[in-house]
Amino acid sequence: MVKIFIDEKEFEVEEGITVLEAAERAGLHIPHLCYHKAFIPQGSCRICLVEIEGLPKLELACSTRVREGMKVSTRSERVIDARKGVLECLLAEHPLDCPICDKAGDCKLQDYYEEYGLFDSEFKEYKEKRQKKIEIGKYLVHDQERCVVCRRCVRFLREVTKTEELGVFNRGIHTEVSVYDGVSVDNNYSGNLVEICPVGAITDKDFRFKTRSWFLKSESSICPLCSRGCNIFIEFHQGFSRFPLPKRVYRIRSRENEKINGCWICDLGRYGYSYVDNERLDKIIMNDSHDTAGWPELKSIIAKKAKRLVLEKRTAQIGLILHTWLSNEELFLIDKIFRKDLKIEKICFLDPSPGEGDDFLLTTERSPNRRGAQELGFDLQSCDWAHFFDKLELLLVFGSPLLEQTDFSPLKAGLEGIGTKVLFASHKHGIHSLFDIVLPMSVIAEKEGSLTNVDGIVQDFSPALNTLGECQPEWKFLLDFAKKLDIDLEFFRSLSSPKSIQEEMKKQISFFEKNSE
Amino acid sequence: MEEKILTKNFGLENLFKIDVYIEHKGYEAVKKALEKMGPDEILKEVKAANLRGRGGAGFPAGVKWGFVPKDVDKPKYLCVNADEGEPGTFKDRYIMTHNPHLLIEGIVITSFCVSINTAYIYIRGEYEAVALRLEKAISEAYEKKFLGKNILGTGFDLDVYIHRGAGAYICGEETALLESLEGKRGNPRLKPPFPASIGLFDCPTVINNVETLSNIPFIILNGAGRFCQVGLPKDGGTRIFGVSGMVKKPGIYELPMGTSLKDIVFQHAGGMKEGKKLKAVIPGGMSAPILSADEIDINMDFDSLVEAKSMLGSAAIVVIDEETSMLDVLALVTKFYSHESCGQCTPCRIGNSWINKIVRRIMDGKGNKKDLDKIEQLANNMLGKTLCPLGDAAAMPILSIIQKFRKELDTYLNN
Repeated sequence: MVKIFIDEKEFEVEEGITVLEAAERAGLHIPHLCYHKAFIPQGSCRICLVEIEGLPKLELACSTRVREGMKVSTRSERVIDARKGVLECLLAEHPLDCPICDKAGDCKLQDYYEEYGLFDSEFKEYKEKRQKKIEIGKYLVHDQERCVVCRRCVRFLREVTKTEELGVFNRGIHTEVSVYDGVSVDNNYSGNLVEICPVGAITDKDFRFKTRSWFLKSESSICPLCSRGCNIFIEFHQGFSRFPLPKRVYRIRSRENEKINGCWICDLGRYGYSYVDNERLDKIIMNDSHDTAGWPELKSIIAKKAKRLVLEKRTAQIGLILHTWLSNEELFLIDKIFRKDLKIEKICFLDPSPGEGDDFLLTTERSPNRRGAQELGFDLQSCDWAHFFDKLELLLVFGSPLLEQTDFSPLKAGLEGIGTKVLFASHKHGIHSLFDIVLPMSVIAEKEGSLTNVDGIVQDFSPALNTLGECQPEWKFLLDFAKKLDIDLEFFRSLSSPKSIQEEMKKQISFFEKNSE
Repeated sequence: MEEKILTKNFGLENLFKIDVYIEHKGYEAVKKALEKMGPDEILKEVKAANLRGRGGAGFPAGVKWGFVPKDVDKPKYLCVNADEGEPGTFKDRYIMTHNPHLLIEGIVITSFCVSINTAYIYIRGEYEAVALRLEKAISEAYEKKFLGKNILGTGFDLDVYIHRGAGAYICGEETALLESLEGKRGNPRLKPPFPASIGLFDCPTVINNVETLSNIPFIILNGAGRFCQVGLPKDGGTRIFGVSGMVKKPGIYELPMGTSLKDIVFQHAGGMKEGKKLKAVIPGGMSAPILSADEIDINMDFDSLVEAKSMLGSAAIVVIDEETSMLDVLALVTKFYSHESCGQCTPCRIGNSWINKIVRRIMDGKGNKKDLDKIEQLANNMLGKTLCPLGDAAAMPILSIIQKFRKELDTYLNN
């Protein structure tokens, strides 16, 4: 540890870190554009210059390492002048089209102008004309006029994806970031460029002109679209009172986690969010009668049926199809209720079909919790469907939100002749008609619980969005169901939330205690 | 007659051929250095000679070599900066054209001193004929075993390669030169680390100017004492002054360090052309702050010029007469730096272009009273605040021209 002074305040900081890092840790923001913690400092934007006692020139906060007794001034007149000088230059050649720029509200250039400038432009010359709408990739649009040539994008593609689709072209004022001839930024991580661009030079086709960033609320969550468990922010619009919106979620952004995803997420996780709002099932469907029933009655009906079969020692006639979008807590409850208490053996898993993975973040699994299910002792191997459907009387199918990507063909043949067929589904799907009852379920973005990622890291998530319509989370159904079944009352009475289930789970299975984030 | 170190034999026919060069004591220094002196002794001698870098910054060559770490298992490289791009400068071209073996001797001795086995000559792309001549000289040196394996039977190996630049001024900046040599875009690197520890291909690297290295054979043969005697104790040797502009005899003049600028202009270069009056002198290439006519009674050495708030730089002297408009001079300077900024850092990329745009507007007769202040402010935004010295190189002449010739420049502005 070394002792340094920033703006006359004393701080104890780690040796070897930079002035900028030291300041950030002390809660002092030093403006920067080209610096990004994931990359080697480049020192080109020059906006992080600070004054260090004893040194004649202003020094870069992003690359200067702290020394014992160093006295740094981040707000002296010289520093502010230099900062303004940089801002003035950047703004001189900037199109200032904030009203139509997606980055407005999130833009560093705007923020710094507010903080250090609010000066009138003295630029009386002509601005350079550049391309404003280049499709540089499947998801990306590049505006060269807004670009401040920080090269974060170029460095990301060089250092992180190693795909190098973008380069710096020309010289002086004509310097431009652009794609190399015949290339397109279409790697699995292209969307990160939008996030690391400090200005609106690289925008998201998916988000372009859809809303303004200040209308969005941001909540933490875990990406469920593969088993990496990348940490994300779900950014959603709460709607206008007299102008309801067709969707809630407008974008997904990465949330830093050094152990799992660093600063990045893949494009599948970033752009695959439409399932949260599209084709959602928010009402109970009863196909076999014209009656309507609510959750409590249906829970009773299903529990009664199950109980009768158990009492008649016909547990082999109860079948359960699961998936691994279910949280650790939900799978723990299922294990307790169906396997331990009811002694049901016919439990199969039907997950969305695997997809392509890569050697960075994206795994081949298209569900977030296969590892959790394994740790809970479930067999995820393929099922002997003929045996499974033989003489089945009650079938409970939990369907993941990716019904479209799940192969239900083994089911269709077996469903004939089963007495009661219940589907738990978050989404509308043709398969609904094959079931007697379809119950609307919440998705991970609306739930609470924990997931175990591919490497065995257990991460909690909490609801980012409100529950939709009549939807319920699986854990709630399972708890109520258990209570109606009248089994192990003492055990279930103490459980009322995912948190309490988790505590119990950790008590019983040390894996979850040991590997919690 | 002052002693000449670099241009002494320039009058000899075919000096660029190795046989002629050897006839006139050529490669004696290499023999002495490799056979009779060790690396430590060479380094000591070069340090004692106070040989300051001839590229522009004037950093002592011996000290620079001393920075190279001794105990590394990586290869070390020598890069010869022959990217002579500073406007007004043409001295290295003369050395390489007329006396290429002198440079090669310097390269061999330097490489031997620092344990380098590979040297690159990064030569300005426009110097095609010079590069061809240098290429020829190198192959002659290989034939005579002054280059290649086991030089003079000492077990020392050295390969020399020529790399031609592609026309960017910035590649004369040493770290941009390294990037370009590595096959990348010629952008300066952030320092530290310095090339002596992490340079070409991330290996320890010495980068010296052509003229600097060409002084080494003299120091080896005649000793540091003689070298300092020729020049100044703290700033040894001669400089090749490249005089251009409105003088009667433009050209190169090798004169002792510390020769008076007034003498160079009015005696050696024959004085003003057509009897015109002197208005200003750029003393060390375009980057050097301009001197007005009444400031030229000054000794041309590194320290004297720093004292006069200018710099010796590449010792390229540009003489400006009374009939030259200072606005034209300013326009030339701003156009050059605006064109040559590499575009990496903000104040230089946009500042130089902005300044140039203002100057163009003034030339169009649309200047106003605030314009010069704005140029000064933009130049000050660059001064000491850019990633590499190009920002300073642009700001210094611009600021000095405005400061010293404001009255004249004001006449081009509208009220």
